[in-house]
Amino acid sequence: MRIKAIIFNTFIESIRDKILIILIILGFLLMASSKIIQPLALGEESKIIKDLGLSAINLITVLIAIFVGGRLIYKEVEKRTIYIVLAKPIKRWEFILGKYCGLFLVLFVSLLILAIGFFLVLLLMNISADFTLLLPLLFLLFELSIITALAIFFSTFVTPIGASIFTFILYFIGHLTRDLKAFAVMAKSPIIKVIADFFYYILPNLANFNIKGMVVHNVIIPPPLIFFTILYGIFYTAGLLFFSMLVFQRKDF
Amino acid sequence: MVVIKAENLTRDYKVGFGGLRRLRALDSLNLEIEKGEIFGFLGPNGSGKTTTIKLLLGLIKPTAGRITVFGRSPADTAIKKKIGYLPESPYFYDYLTAYEFLYFCAQVFGIKEDRIDQLLKLVDMEEARNVQMRNFSRGMLQRIGVAQALLGEPELVIFDEPMGGLDPIGRKEVRDIILNLRKEGKTVFFSSHILSDAEMICDRVGILVKGKLVKIGKTTQILSEEIESIEVTVRNIPEAIKEELRKIAVGVLESDNKVMFIVQKEEERDQIIKSVANSAGEIVSVIPRRKTLEEYFMSFVR
Repeated sequence: MRIKAIIFNTFIESIRDKILIILIILGFLLMASSKIIQPLALGEESKIIKDLGLSAINLITVLIAIFVGGRLIYKEVEKRTIYIVLAKPIKRWEFILGKYCGLFLVLFVSLLILAIGFFLVLLLMNISADFTLLLPLLFLLFELSIITALAIFFSTFVTPIGASIFTFILYFIGHLTRDLKAFAVMAKSPIIKVIADFFYYILPNLANFNIKGMVVHNVIIPPPLIFFTILYGIFYTAGLLFFSMLVFQRKDF
Repeated sequence: MVVIKAENLTRDYKVGFGGLRRLRALDSLNLEIEKGEIFGFLGPNGSGKTTTIKLLLGLIKPTAGRITVFGRSPADTAIKKKIGYLPESPYFYDYLTAYEFLYFCAQVFGIKEDRIDQLLKLVDMEEARNVQMRNFSRGMLQRIGVAQALLGEPELVIFDEPMGGLDPIGRKEVRDIILNLRKEGKTVFFSSHILSDAEMICDRVGILVKGKLVKIGKTTQILSEEIESIEVTVRNIPEAIKEELRKIAVGVLESDNKVMFIVQKEEERDQIIKSVANSAGEIVSVIPRRKTLEEYFMSFVR
């Protein structure tokens, strides 16, 4: 009941925030821009438009997670609403979990709205679409789950700008961790090998969640990959939330 | 029954570069608040009032000492069900309406929605129930603050500067709310630097200066200790008596046929009354002039 109240509170507060509405409109504009590049597609228009649409959804939802998520906890501290909330019979871990779920719900709804827009664009352009296009969106949802947890984690101890920057950096690095593994394999010094391996395992491996290209080019995704990627998303998120709760539990306001 | 008990409660804050320096915000506070009391926690800004309240709510931990509320740690969620809290200059969620916010609070306390309407009525905010709170004035936010603090029918109400941002009518309304809470047997702990408000409603006051509790006692007792002078106004007294009494008074004011003698001791007051009675004069009034609480705590600050 208490967590539900925090989820609802976070959801309502976030969906009425102008930043969210602006980002979603930006997403629609990006998808609509595929009409402009249609003549340049030279017969590959179906693939390019699908790729562009999926990339637009990806970009916008990641921006929402970073900017709205980064402000989420700190804003409560800065504006001192946290005093009122934590003076009530709410446990600190419930607050973090509620905030996380509320933001995740916002992202889910945003993704749903953008996805409807995407399928409408495909329909208007007479491009065939099937359910396989939903798979990269499902993967995106789990990637967003990690990014949101990252934003919340940073938001518990740094300013909103700091949290957004750190989350963005980790998002960026998270898409390059395979290079880190390759670097570890090639490294001659054992120390560098250990360090590179350490960061490979500790940093989020977000490249796993990017299957847009494979789906657009009709490559079949093996079911174990789907299963393990989703499992990875769940565990990584849970770990981050655990540490967020730990930091928040010890925090003085 | 003791509701709040602080024993040597101390809180330091880390300040300066790298938090190397420590600032003592609260120094060995010992305090006991009984059930049903209205306790005024007074002191100038920066004296440690809000720090004490944060410790009372479990928002921060003490550096040393101990605090219990209803005999248990304030961090205990079960205890928080019994507490209503209004922060100083409250600020709520911009994009939620007054009703949505109170609904959130009701869910947290697990209470029915009917109570929201009762409280909106109590704080006279029924008309603004569906307005987003970013459009509220400071006074309106204060009213919603009072409503959310009382929503869970708390046994202990903690108000941090409850009169802040309110006009005289609003202040009177908050005063009435606090007096009603006393009638209901609730305990009220409130901090203020506006002393006239405390003077009117508190059973006891504690005066905090630079983190130290410098005085604690019944409001009337603290005030009676502080009689500065007594003004005795008389009428129709003979010139000779007037001249005689002029010698013991520290000040004399005359208007028409009335004379006001200002004296400092009760014996001097009695002497004037006796002389006037013997001379067939008339006593118009005897008024003890007390230091206001404001003057009182300024004497500690100086």
